[in-house]
Amino acid sequence: MDIIEIENLKHRFADGTLGLDGINLKIRAGAFVVVAGPNGSGKTTLIRHLNGLMLPTDGCVKVAGISVQKDLMRARRLVGMMFQDADSQIVGETVYQDVAFGPENLRLDNDQIRERVSLALDVVGLKDFAQQRPHLLSGGEKRRLAIAGILAMEPKVIAFDEPFASLDYPGVKQVLRQILTLHQAGHTILVITHDLEKVLAHADRLIIMQKGKIVRDGVPAEIVDDIETFGVRAPCASHLGMEVRSWLN
Amino acid sequence: MAELTAFSFQSGTSLLHKLDVRFKLLFLILISLVSLGGGFTGLGALTGLVTGLSIHSRLPLKSAFKEFRFFLIFLVLILVARMLATPGTAIIEIKSFAITRSGLMSGVLICWRLVIIAFVGFLFIYTTPSSEIKAAVDWFLKPAAFIPGKRIATMMGLIARFIPVILNQARETTEAQRARCVENRKNPLYRIVRLGVPLIRRTFEQADRLIVAMEARCYSENRTDPDLSATRTDWLALLVIIIICGWIVSI
Repeated sequence: MDIIEIENLKHRFADGTLGLDGINLKIRAGAFVVVAGPNGSGKTTLIRHLNGLMLPTDGCVKVAGISVQKDLMRARRLVGMMFQDADSQIVGETVYQDVAFGPENLRLDNDQIRERVSLALDVVGLKDFAQQRPHLLSGGEKRRLAIAGILAMEPKVIAFDEPFASLDYPGVKQVLRQILTLHQAGHTILVITHDLEKVLAHADRLIIMQKGKIVRDGVPAEIVDDIETFGVRAPCASHLGMEVRSWLN
Repeated sequence: MAELTAFSFQSGTSLLHKLDVRFKLLFLILISLVSLGGGFTGLGALTGLVTGLSIHSRLPLKSAFKEFRFFLIFLVLILVARMLATPGTAIIEIKSFAITRSGLMSGVLICWRLVIIAFVGFLFIYTTPSSEIKAAVDWFLKPAAFIPGKRIATMMGLIARFIPVILNQARETTEAQRARCVENRKNPLYRIVRLGVPLIRRTFEQADRLIVAMEARCYSENRTDPDLSATRTDWLALLVIIIICGWIVSI
């Protein structure tokens, strides 16, 4: 079953720039997709259409069979999004309150909220930090907190926008491990990055974007060889003719 | 790791942390009103009360005073204006300007009152999550059907959430400018403009990002508020505050 269906999606910004130009894309439930491309290629614009943070100028985006525009709240509940700057995603004054923010907006009762927050913090290993101020967490912990905030809304799809940006090596491993756990738990994962090295070993599909269009789409091993012509650095291992290995090994 | 401003909520187990937010809001209003009319004895008593509560709540006083440095400039201006503008017996005379005893007394009194009000507000923010502030404002405004209570409460909650963000931006921008020797420029106007413009721009950018993040998590005015429940401790605290305020008014 395709959980995301995009047909002829176009997005033009207020200044007239074409951000997305006729995107057609289907993503099956449970897939692990990496979307790569140089800056300004339209990666972030594309995922912001999945939960209605941006609306199409033309075309249609469906999540689990229903148009995003028809039911924005449903789309936002089904598609969780982790932004590039984890700090700007922090809304609560404590770790607990930040994770509770989504369920509170869904108007769940306080018992359900407590249950969801507790579960989400447990999954990301931040239960002991519940009363901590979020801004005092490390970079990796902040991203795990952002993941917990998304998990508490029980989404089907989780989109990560540059999840490894400005993280140290342990931070990258923490976040990567978390992403894999979520994938194993049945979530559809979309990772947007221009740095394939850290995540490509785990992806079952690679999409390359350039100037608002999808220019390559397929199994990573089959298309990785010529991606540098589109401004994306291929992983070192593929340069050496080797298999791309996980950062967790 | 980020250094954080003290002007934001910090979870804790103090009495103030445990009190119902509606009572705390009442205390804030009562103490502010009483301090506006209080004399030296009354203000002394209120200072003792606020200091005691600050220590008990583990309010980081050093950091609090640091945040107050801009407010102190404002207080100094008030003090100087009162000293020079109030008629009475002159203590010091410089050319045509005279600092009067009654001006000094009244200036000190006004500044003292403002410091107490500011610190009570500080304590309130420090011990109350913005979601509870929103819930309390909503609760107080509910009977007034013509006032958009939920909207006002949401705005107040967001303001409380955003103050530390602005203070953080201000500190970061100041440090970035100090790293480029802005201190060599002695003209305060130049420095204010150089700080103000990027600060406002960055604050709006940050606000934009925050709005997108909130929208992505289905933000709306109609959300589940925290449970508000008054206990015996809340009523007891109200009684104590009323007695103290009554005594100050009577002296």
